Amino acid sequence: MALSLAIEGLDAGYGAVKALRGVTLHVEAGETVALLGTNGNGKSTLMKCVMGLVRPDRGRLTLTIDGRAHDLARLPAEAIVDLGVALVPEGRRLFPRLTVLENLMLGAFRKAARSAIERNLALAYETFPALKERRSQLAGTMSGGQQQMLAIARALMSSPRLLLIDEPSVGLSPLLVSQTIAKIGELKQRVGLTVLMAEQNFNQAIRIADRGYIIVHGEIAVAAQSVEELKANDIVKRLYLGGVA
Amino acid sequence: MFSMDLLLGAVVLGVLLGCFYAAVSVGLSISFGLLDVPHVAHPAFLVLASYGVYQLNETYDIDPLLAGLAITPLFFLFGLLAYRVYYETFEKRGTDAGVRGIAFFFGIAFIIEVLIILQFGVDQRSVTATYIGKAWRFGEYRIPIRQLVAFAVALALTILLAVYLSKTFMGRAIRAVAQDEEALRLMGANPVRIKQFAFGIATAVLGIAGALLIIVAPVEPTLDRAYIGRTFCVVVMAGLGSISGTLIAAIILGVAESIVLTLFGASWAPAISFAMLLVVLAVRPQGLFGR
Repeated sequence: MALSLAIEGLDAGYGAVKALRGVTLHVEAGETVALLGTNGNGKSTLMKCVMGLVRPDRGRLTLTIDGRAHDLARLPAEAIVDLGVALVPEGRRLFPRLTVLENLMLGAFRKAARSAIERNLALAYETFPALKERRSQLAGTMSGGQQQMLAIARALMSSPRLLLIDEPSVGLSPLLVSQTIAKIGELKQRVGLTVLMAEQNFNQAIRIADRGYIIVHGEIAVAAQSVEELKANDIVKRLYLGGVA
Repeated sequence: MFSMDLLLGAVVLGVLLGCFYAAVSVGLSISFGLLDVPHVAHPAFLVLASYGVYQLNETYDIDPLLAGLAITPLFFLFGLLAYRVYYETFEKRGTDAGVRGIAFFFGIAFIIEVLIILQFGVDQRSVTATYIGKAWRFGEYRIPIRQLVAFAVALALTILLAVYLSKTFMGRAIRAVAQDEEALRLMGANPVRIKQFAFGIATAVLGIAGALLIIVAPVEPTLDRAYIGRTFCVVVMAGLGSISGTLIAAIILGVAESIVLTLFGASWAPAISFAMLLVVLAVRPQGLFGR
């Protein structure tokens, strides 16, 4: 099944502040693309634009499924979810006073998603066994790592084909970051997902990424065709690898 | 004189009364407890429903409970409309919607009172049904059948609503919308539509609750004032938005009122709810089962 996301010349922001300027990037079917950049460079705004939560001021957001192009800038979030896009938001954004199971069920809120609930729930529990044990526990009472697992599992409940993941490593210990990234890679293989992942942690992100972009002050500073190319880049060396450019 | 028998009788009647209070408060538990709408017109909507039931009972001799059921869809639509007006004029525009919203709903409450007076006058109105006016006796106890009917229907209504909120997709979304609207949008749900629907449900429930109100005792246009204290006391004591908490808090209020009524007389009973509300706000503002 062919699916691709193309973003061209995207400008977006809140009021006078421009969070994104002329952002152009693309994600092809089956790829895992990393969007790298430190805090406040516009990664989350980009994710929200794709999801229909923030409307761009200029530019195009096109999701092509089996040859049919959908203009995401004109669709409400409901329709974008129905097209098979899901976002694991920064800070996880669980419903803290609902149980684990209730959070998962809300992930399948759309009518189109409800027929696959049994299958997706089984997948979620198999991938994250801790969630099954804790399915009656309130989400807000779990540890950060478990909450991140739940946020990912909840996004999978709508049977997405394009999974957007915003900062999965924030607030987690290095070991948990490593486990979370590994789980994302594992899920990607199993379900055949296409993934766009925003991340600050360069070394963790490139473990599972096919290629990546670096975003600086709302603009794409580097568009690398491979992980090797990313590692060799001067900006990367300066920002992430501690080398002297 | 005080006696254990008297106290026991007061507690039994208090439990029956409490379940009735749960039924009249459970809608507010959704609108105020979950949606943060300062719905002080909730008791006025309740009394309006009672008059609707009265009209159907008087004109067509319909059983009050069936009449309540019949006006439920109308009240659902009324709720959708009321929330939409509140949303467009207050909630959409800013963070102090709560404070200005109180004025809005007080205004609606007074308009409803005036409309009821214009249509029905200020006299008390009551309904007729086979179970009204009879009582169950065992030993020296005497329980009016109308209280038992109200108790059973109220309990069923409250449990039904609790099940709806925990077991259905819409019910879960209604509980989630209070916690994180943007996250709910990520699930493909429109928060404003969810809240509007929830307010519709909260208002629809008043069709039945209004029937119970006029079954238990005659109503008059300004009866809503006595229920502002009771309903808000129950919802705040329960912990905002907890349905099972609403039932327990309502029973606590019912028993307290019933005991005070038995020991000190009827004139003290209306003060109980406000006193308990103040105590809860001072000692445990998050309520018994609060977030």
